[in-house]
Amino acid sequence: MTQAVSSAPGFWKKNQQKLAPWLFLAPGLLMFVIYVLVPIFQSIWISFHDWDGLGEKVWIGLGNYVELIDDEDFYTSLKNNIIWLVLYLLSIPAGLAVALFLNQTVTGIRLYKSLFFFPFVISQVVVGLMFTWFYAPDFGLFSQLLKWLTGEEVAVLADERYVTYGIIAAGLWPQTAYCMILYLTGLNNINPEQVEAARMDGAKGAKLLWFVVLPQLAPATFIAMVVTVIGSLRSFDLVSVMTAGGPYGTSQVLSYFMYEQALSEYGYRMGYGAAIAVILFLIMMIFITLFIVRMLSQERNA
Amino acid sequence: MADVSLRDVKKQFGALSVIKGVDLDVKDGEFCVFVGPSGCGKSTLLRMIAGLEDITSGALSIGGKDMTSVGPSERGVAMVFQSYALYPHMTVAENIGFGLKMTGHSKAMIAERTAAAAKLLQLEPLLQRKPGQLSGGQRQRVAIGRAIVRNPQVFLFDEPLSNLDAALRVQMRTELSKLHQDLKATMIYVTHDQVEAMTMADKIVVLSAGKIEQVGSPLELYHRPNNLFVAGFIGSPKMNFLTVNVTAGEGGKAVVSLPGATVVLDAGATTIAGGEMTFGLRPEHVDAKGKGDAQIQATVKLAEYLGSETLFFVTLADGSEMAVKADGLASQRPGDTITLGINAKACHLFNTDGTAVINGDLTR
Repeated sequence: MTQAVSSAPGFWKKNQQKLAPWLFLAPGLLMFVIYVLVPIFQSIWISFHDWDGLGEKVWIGLGNYVELIDDEDFYTSLKNNIIWLVLYLLSIPAGLAVALFLNQTVTGIRLYKSLFFFPFVISQVVVGLMFTWFYAPDFGLFSQLLKWLTGEEVAVLADERYVTYGIIAAGLWPQTAYCMILYLTGLNNINPEQVEAARMDGAKGAKLLWFVVLPQLAPATFIAMVVTVIGSLRSFDLVSVMTAGGPYGTSQVLSYFMYEQALSEYGYRMGYGAAIAVILFLIMMIFITLFIVRMLSQERNA
Repeated sequence: MADVSLRDVKKQFGALSVIKGVDLDVKDGEFCVFVGPSGCGKSTLLRMIAGLEDITSGALSIGGKDMTSVGPSERGVAMVFQSYALYPHMTVAENIGFGLKMTGHSKAMIAERTAAAAKLLQLEPLLQRKPGQLSGGQRQRVAIGRAIVRNPQVFLFDEPLSNLDAALRVQMRTELSKLHQDLKATMIYVTHDQVEAMTMADKIVVLSAGKIEQVGSPLELYHRPNNLFVAGFIGSPKMNFLTVNVTAGEGGKAVVSLPGATVVLDAGATTIAGGEMTFGLRPEHVDAKGKGDAQIQATVKLAEYLGSETLFFVTLADGSEMAVKADGLASQRPGDTITLGINAKACHLFNTDGTAVINGDLTR
């Protein structure tokens, strides 16, 4: 009897080792498939149609993409997205600088650290509102300052030359805080004896930073790159809160352009919006692929 | 190569005084070991010589030049850290050559000196590896290599062997001694392990609570400890201490009444005040066969048979305890009575304030 049990265990017993990981992964996997993977393919599918969101879908093939190529607003958004991407990266060196500055033991340093981290904790909408007032003509602090310095007043958010830069500056505030936290944890992991050894080896200041500290912060820099690049491509809330894409759509970015086309009062062009989303997705895929390739190659080397 | 001298060197962290005035001369080419219990300030003192800690007051000179407030890289010293502190992102070769690179030496010069150091330390096959791929002993050698290439006047070691296992520690100990003979450089070495201190040092500096207790050669400290602290710190198992009554005898003698026996010590020129004193005798100087100037009876409480020797922990008639090192063939078991022989020439006597009055120096 006992022999029969041990020689012919149940299906579960035989495959437990193989099945258990999948069981643990199942909830996350299920969510990912339902809320991420399926919508991606649905969006691609919708982008080949003309659809108002309620009525009948009409197949128009690549029609939406053809229209997109001739759409001036699309190029404005794309250009703004590139400006975002480049300038947003400034948050990485800025975060590093703040982290180096705060990485010391002084009374109350925890308080200073939390104050610097604060902008990341508050909602992007609040950040947007604060900067809107900051830039506001007449009573805004920035306008007052500019007036005092140059004698002229500039309505940053109403001037198509400055508006995108104004919004990016607002975005840099929380993003710098985020990079700072990443670097602070990285700095924590550096053995103080190594810094002392470097001092004895004659490395000081910039040399110490470049040859000893920065290489060891590489993992933090990598994560900071990932979140900053993806954050810059996803920028939506600040644009929406501060200018709603204005003036005359000059501060639009792809995600806001998509939202406006698909879901705003200008009409419900789901197909066209989906086409913009697909383009944005492809741009993001370039970066995500780069990051994943690097991550995998590092894992293989480790 | 250079000598190191400290004059009334002090270190204070806020109100806390860590080094309370140290005067010390380390001669050119000497292997000097700072030893003491943890928290005695030995590492701080080393770091002050390295330049990693500021000197609050006093003067430090290396090779005759005042170095009290010179930067760590300009003192001509190199340090090997307890954690080795190798740069994890650099190869062994880059680690060794880093100091030269920072001081602007040519690539050819760096390669040449790195190769020479690697050859001396048998690191040649490992030069292209990263520290993460090395064993503890190999990392230790890289850390030493990093110190050697800079051609320092003084080498500083901060407990360099404490992260190694016992066998490797013994091996590295002999390697370090050999390195010292090859380089003939001044070396200052910090450890809490008195065996390391005894085996490697030309000169031992015993520190306690930020002060020097005694400076001397290993055998000097062993045979002629200045005070109770040094007597207890040097030697393993540590010296036995008994509180005893002493009376001054005729002709410069001290009569010590031990539990169950009296022993007469030669005080030489020292005058003995008498009264309560501390009697000290090393376990290895007690004869388990009862031979000696005085005999006491004791009961074996615990015995450790080590083969080459046997350690007895015994209780005397008044309940005080002693350790006795007997030869490996001693056959007493716990509970047995044992007769201990005491050689009067090996006995130490300390005042109530801890200073030595009589040192039983067997070498004389």
